[in-house]
Amino acid sequence: MDVFLQQLVNGLSLGGIYALIALGYTMVYGIIELVNFAHGDVYTLGSFFSLAVLGLIGIQGELHGAPLVGVIAFTIVCAMLLCGLVGVLLERFAYRPLRNAPRLALLITAIGLSFILENIMQFWKGPSPVPFPGFFPDAAVTLGGVLIEAKQVIVVFLAIVMMAGLQFFVYNTKLGKAMRATAQDREAAQLMGININTTIALTFLIGSALAGAAGFVSGVYYGTTWFFNGFSAGLKAFTAAVLGGIGNLAGAMLGGFLIGLIEAFTTQFISDQWSNVVVFTVLILVLVFRPAGLLGESLPNKV
Amino acid sequence: MRRTSSYRVTAALGTAAFALSAVLGFVPAPAVAADPVIKIGIDLPVSGADASIGIPTQNGAILAIEQANAKHAGGNYTFAPYALDDAVQGKHDPAQGAQNVKTFIADPAVLAMIGPFNSNVAVAEIPLTNDAGLVQIAASTTNDTLTRPPNAAKLRSTHPDTNAFFRVCTVDSRQGSAGAQFAKRLGFKRAFIIDDNETYGKGLADVFDAQFKALGGTVVDHEHITSNQQDFKALLTKAHSMNPDVIFYGGTTSTGGGLVRKQMADVGMKGVAYMGGDGIGDEEFVKVAGTMANGTYYSIAAPEATRLPSATAFVAAYKKRFNADVGPYSANAYAAAQIEIAAIVKAIKASGGKMPTRAQVLRNVAETRDFDSPIGKIGFDKYGDTTSPILSLYEIKDEKKVFVNQISLTST
Repeated sequence: MDVFLQQLVNGLSLGGIYALIALGYTMVYGIIELVNFAHGDVYTLGSFFSLAVLGLIGIQGELHGAPLVGVIAFTIVCAMLLCGLVGVLLERFAYRPLRNAPRLALLITAIGLSFILENIMQFWKGPSPVPFPGFFPDAAVTLGGVLIEAKQVIVVFLAIVMMAGLQFFVYNTKLGKAMRATAQDREAAQLMGININTTIALTFLIGSALAGAAGFVSGVYYGTTWFFNGFSAGLKAFTAAVLGGIGNLAGAMLGGFLIGLIEAFTTQFISDQWSNVVVFTVLILVLVFRPAGLLGESLPNKV
Repeated sequence: MRRTSSYRVTAALGTAAFALSAVLGFVPAPAVAADPVIKIGIDLPVSGADASIGIPTQNGAILAIEQANAKHAGGNYTFAPYALDDAVQGKHDPAQGAQNVKTFIADPAVLAMIGPFNSNVAVAEIPLTNDAGLVQIAASTTNDTLTRPPNAAKLRSTHPDTNAFFRVCTVDSRQGSAGAQFAKRLGFKRAFIIDDNETYGKGLADVFDAQFKALGGTVVDHEHITSNQQDFKALLTKAHSMNPDVIFYGGTTSTGGGLVRKQMADVGMKGVAYMGGDGIGDEEFVKVAGTMANGTYYSIAAPEATRLPSATAFVAAYKKRFNADVGPYSANAYAAAQIEIAAIVKAIKASGGKMPTRAQVLRNVAETRDFDSPIGKIGFDKYGDTTSPILSLYEIKDEKKVFVNQISLTST
């Protein structure tokens, strides 16, 4: 039982990171029907930006109390802003010129951008895993035989807070309404006076900022980052988005947590090497019975 | 002045054009033969996570080649290293290794090659060198099946009767059993084994698994991880629940050896020991695992060069040339290059100063017996393996490697 609960904690922490990345995939898909393969690399970029910011602050040793909260808030905001900026730039210079081109052109561009970002990061920090400064306290509590690290609490907490904030933004603000309108029918939205360029750029800004936050969180959680991390994490997050129902925010979140849990439990009760197999088998089964994903596509079918 | 400089430019352009046409093959063969160069191909991972162990290995081979040239060992011929990198996306890559070997084979001036570093890369390369008859000596690929029957015969499908692959390091059946004995001597009773599912990593872990059991130890579980995996917390939580006193990792730092060790701290396994083979015996491991690197034990399939009287001159020359300390496999690569150079020199003499053939060089390498090298007397047995295998054992303390013991084994 202890082990079961322990793996639950592990799975939720891993799932929190997947969920944050999956939100960006699902938002971009929802609005321009693009599977943005460069998104996983924006996530890695988030951890690299965090590393750079922490380096600039000059963190040495563990922090506690107010300085800890301050450093986390400052670094995460910087990483989110910088990743958001990268997302907007990608949209402006790579995707917007192709907005009316065939879908395949956009898709290939996204894959190309993914390679470019990976290589830039490899050039920047080298091809080896890069250690993260250990400023986060190694604190952990044992609850009924289950070890819960402070880092794990932060991962899940941040994922849920951001998800809630995003949900509020999309459903309760004017800009969110504009986003939903653009996603439903771009031309009609434009006729109603919505600036679709700004709205799409905003979608990329938010999605990439969330990936930036995930990048920071993963750096703290694992204590390392690596230029190639975004490849497999991005693939899992995309799977999470599809599992939950691509285009659906709550679905992405649910999918992320589910995949994290499936991986942890497969490792415990079957074997680590089968975890990917089980994840994708579940995905296939879900798609067979619910082609639109668990929570379904919340957007009208356009094609 | 202007005239001279413009003349120089013209001359330079002329030379460049000549060089370009030579590269493109426009110049007839006799013109090229005026400058006799014999190349020795070196295929190792020298970028990415494998670079910290690949580069010192490459340097060892380069040093041997430079020393041979300084002594004019080749007579009219000059030796040149032809070094290629088999790392892709920061990690050793079998397809890239095969591509590099094809490049060597296509160049008639390449008479021998050194490498690769990793056993799975060797699996991709041996069929090619066997087909071309290009002799290949590896300094560090330890998987048994590369040279031992029945698998080795499959790798030599073109010429089943000839072997072109030799190695100066020992094999994993010895490394794994030495590891198991080492674990027993350190008092470990329950081992949790993880491997990276590669030729080397799985091979080594399987030997350790069997030997540790044979010595009375308990293997609580044997797990395999997948390529590019980053999260080992679930796996280590499982390991922790089985209460092992050591985790044995079969694989390299670049396939996850460093991250597994680092994440052991996160699941409450700080005090549990960690063991592995030469795959985690690189500086990269300490860099990735940080302070968690302490309490790690590993073996290297080579002698510790800095302790060998026969290697004193080599260690000093290496330090002088590269301004760095020797790596775990520098001396092995140096010895491999020396053997190849000696074989080529012998072939040049036999053919009366003419460019030797690859077949001559291969035959001479295969006949190597009692060859004096910094790592001792080297010969090759019927499989192409060294007749004097040596293993060194290390422990990491204060984030530095500490030599523990050396084991000499006799070839069978």
